[in-house]
Amino acid sequence: MSRIENIISELSSISTNPKKAMEDYKKETGKGSVGVMPYYAPEEIIHAAGFLPVGIWGGQTAITKARAYLPPFACSIMQSVMEMQLEGVYDDLEAVLFPVPCDTLKCLSQKWKGTSPVIVFTHPQNRKLEAANKFLAEEYRLVREKLEKVLNVQITDEALNKSIEIYNENRKVMREFIDIAAKYPNIIDPIKRHAIIKARYFMEKSKHTAMVKELNSELASSPVEAFTGKKVVLTGIMAEPNEVLEILKENGFAVVADDLAQESRQFRNDVPLGTDPLYRLAKWWQEFDGCSLATDAKKSRGPMLIDMVKASKADAVVVCMMKFCDPEEFDYPIYYRQFEEAGIKSLFIEIDLETTSFEQTKTRVQSFSEML
Amino acid sequence: MFTMGIDIGSSSSKVVILEDGVNIIAGEVIQIGTGSTGPKRVLDDALSKAGLKLQDMARIIATGYGRASVKEAHKQISEISCQAKGVFFLVPSAKIIIDIGGQDVKTIKLDSKGSVKQFFMNDKCAAGTGRFLDVMSRVLEVNLDEMEEYDSRSTEPASISSTCTVFAESEVISQLSNGVAKENIIAGVHQSVASKACGLAYRCGVEEDIVMCGGVAKDLGVVRAISKQLKKTVIVAPNPQITAALGAAIFAFEEVINK
Amino acid sequence: MTDTTNMLAKELLGFYQEKLYEEAREAKKEGKLVCWSASVAPSEFCVAMDIAMIYPETHAAGIGARKGALDMLEVADEKGYNLDTCSYARVNLGYMELLKEEALTGKTPEKLEKTPAARIPLPDLLITCNNICNTLLKWYENLAVELNIPLIIIDVPFNHTMPIPLYAKEYIAEQFKDAITQLEEICGKKFDYDKFLKVQEQTQRSVAQWNRVAALSSHKPSPLNCFDLFNYMALIVCARSKDYAEITFKKFADELDENLKNGIFAFKGNEQKRVTWEGIAVWPHLGHTFKGLKNLGNIMTGSAYPGLWNLSYTPGDMNSMAEAYTRIYINTCLDNKVKVLGDVISGGKCDGVVYHQNRSCKLMSFLNVETADMLQKENGLPYVSFDGDQTDPRNFAPAQFDTRVQALDEMMKQNKEGVPNE
Repeated sequence: MSRIENIISELSSISTNPKKAMEDYKKETGKGSVGVMPYYAPEEIIHAAGFLPVGIWGGQTAITKARAYLPPFACSIMQSVMEMQLEGVYDDLEAVLFPVPCDTLKCLSQKWKGTSPVIVFTHPQNRKLEAANKFLAEEYRLVREKLEKVLNVQITDEALNKSIEIYNENRKVMREFIDIAAKYPNIIDPIKRHAIIKARYFMEKSKHTAMVKELNSELASSPVEAFTGKKVVLTGIMAEPNEVLEILKENGFAVVADDLAQESRQFRNDVPLGTDPLYRLAKWWQEFDGCSLATDAKKSRGPMLIDMVKASKADAVVVCMMKFCDPEEFDYPIYYRQFEEAGIKSLFIEIDLETTSFEQTKTRVQSFSEML
Repeated sequence: MFTMGIDIGSSSSKVVILEDGVNIIAGEVIQIGTGSTGPKRVLDDALSKAGLKLQDMARIIATGYGRASVKEAHKQISEISCQAKGVFFLVPSAKIIIDIGGQDVKTIKLDSKGSVKQFFMNDKCAAGTGRFLDVMSRVLEVNLDEMEEYDSRSTEPASISSTCTVFAESEVISQLSNGVAKENIIAGVHQSVASKACGLAYRCGVEEDIVMCGGVAKDLGVVRAISKQLKKTVIVAPNPQITAALGAAIFAFEEVINK
Repeated sequence: MTDTTNMLAKELLGFYQEKLYEEAREAKKEGKLVCWSASVAPSEFCVAMDIAMIYPETHAAGIGARKGALDMLEVADEKGYNLDTCSYARVNLGYMELLKEEALTGKTPEKLEKTPAARIPLPDLLITCNNICNTLLKWYENLAVELNIPLIIIDVPFNHTMPIPLYAKEYIAEQFKDAITQLEEICGKKFDYDKFLKVQEQTQRSVAQWNRVAALSSHKPSPLNCFDLFNYMALIVCARSKDYAEITFKKFADELDENLKNGIFAFKGNEQKRVTWEGIAVWPHLGHTFKGLKNLGNIMTGSAYPGLWNLSYTPGDMNSMAEAYTRIYINTCLDNKVKVLGDVISGGKCDGVVYHQNRSCKLMSFLNVETADMLQKENGLPYVSFDGDQTDPRNFAPAQFDTRVQALDEMMKQNKEGVPNE
């Protein structure tokens, strides 16, 4: 196996086995893990405490127990998170950090069915005002206080600033990876690309950074091969389960850039410079744009995607619509119109973590590849 | 030279045998779909009707939900592309195709050369599909092929507004128990199917000619309701159930020629 | 000018609703500003600046109640709005598209021509507030972009911990200041703080009369059926910063007081059981839901929904006003939500609760299971939940509603006859 294959296989195996990652971390450091719910919680605070932040993004599962607590029109990701709470999947977490940027998450934050303590905080939505930074820094101060209590640790400003640097380094390396991966679609197919990114959620970030950095340099020194398929940009919450990415791969698609909440939206921006770490983290939210969960009276998502398509020389955009996610559903008619006006083709596929039948997705993707 | 298109849908199986890319020698339909004995039987029927053997086919292309399970096929092409191909062959002026099958509603926009410019499909919900009509036909105790006739006698279409099949079923039952005439209920059911399809058609941008295909196109009650909602003439493709299979057979022919 | 002194409350309600729409249409004609506003966004700022106000949620509910929703929903569907999103938003976005088309082509689209609700003008600016949901942020973003007009946002962060902390109130108060700056720019004139104070005082008088009406359902038997509040609500939404609301609610409260004195109650015959309705009305099927309960001898004496506009605060105190707009029960943690609803149920002396599982409103549906469970542990009252939608008629099944409500009725009867509920 080449070094590239080695790294990919290691990251892929971490991405599919968070439980083992948590156990390994405990063995190594003696410290546990803290769950991080979507979307955009300040993981750095957990990192600074010396604990492992673990991303909670649900998973492919049949929904049975959760039916008792959520009507069918709750989004697919939260249905699966609820199911896993009831299964006790998250009970090894020392705490769960819970942001509430949509109505569904507001409700879910009040009905955690696992045993871990839940720490809720609210992102401000009038984001461009300085008062929003102040508010969020205060929310983060309380998050830090609660974490200190639950984890029985001190989280100093110094440690926090250090963690922010580690995260910023990871963000930078990830952005580099996205660009390099786009040049090597024959090596980094959609499934591998996703696994490399997803592994971030279950690893101490400097470790992830080191591996991706090495991968980047190995890739960059490989010869660029001709790619005969089509290049696409993904947008939405996430592009799971892997069957969806398999279908893209089978039909010769490469992912050359993305605007997924689970992927590039996480590392599109760095946490800005400054001295007060909580204020810096708050300011990240102010500068972050083009996401359905971050209110934006200018709605820059469409133009941003159009730029992304141009910059990455993509052939089209694939809309990965999380089933029953209303923030994403409200953005769609606007950017779809903007795509049409800009002559950009797009494909709409539905993301449903419960489904085991992908026939319709196959038909859509195959038709789309025939159309391009 | 003979080519074959096989379209295995969710509730029916279709085969077309084409001679030299223009003459339809056989176009057979069996009303059971993927996973059943339908695919095998319809294939045998088509061959025996044409008096040909499988070996006589220069190329075979499969389409439809069950396309991956057709062992005889040399290749698979999606039903969107095949519908476009087949309909454009039959109606070269087609700009919008409305295809309502057993579990899918699709609208397809064509350019002047018949290529797919854009398409939309329904979400995972039976509303507006052939399955929806099946359920209603059972509740109403009216055969599918009689629904159009009932519709034509309707005086005041009932409002069947539920998007959910289960809700719509209870809506129909309560209309029945309130003594609403079956004719009017069926016209309401047709309007409800039409409204789903029209929503998708509008997203493509409505442009004439509009051609309807798929099994549900045989129910002229639905066709009329769509025409009324779009305020445009809707052309029903000749033999609307086999258009995708025809498209697949044409693709097969073109591939042989261009080789 | 029409003489309103001898009008009944019911007549006043109709009169002022129409007057508000007429004022907005007139304003548009005269080139004055029109603002579309979320139903519980602070109205005080715009009213102080003499801007005519339109409330799309109320307008959408009106379209739904008059059986006109489907046409608008179809327009939204054509634009790519998913059927799963809020039907108020879809009705309004559909309506907006038609208004836009009319403005661009000079031709009135057929669906707009025949829509049964009042005609409203296109807005020049927008104001939204997420105290009743974040959907109002997404919806108004889209309006702002599609119409290319300014949007004033008042963000009231979800109160995951009660009581409301000072820093949250300060953040909201800062936004009030920013809204004033935005308005000064949009209107090209200085903000009139004296008038603003008067508008705040007016708002408090309207709210006081509204609360007076709402409190009357605590009488047993009750002179008020809370279904009536669903209708009167239009004015607490659209006119709370004007005297229209105060005059109408005062009249209504006086009438009900008089009825109470004379032994005239809301339920003709004998009210047998009293229920709380949790959630928004099912506007397209309002009659069916009303009759469904009534025919079983039930009256609605509890609803937390009209209480959303219990916006009491101290005029002149921005933090106090901020608190009033953020403390709305659906913007608070589950414990507080349960407490508020529990008070509604006991205040209305209710025998059971009907929960509306509203396809359009995730925020008002996803905690129903827990809320119902906690409340039943507390008060032992039976409850039932049904599937519906505030203004998409397709998401409600009368037969399902009837069965569920009948089951509730049987449970309530059993309770009243002394058989303990488990």
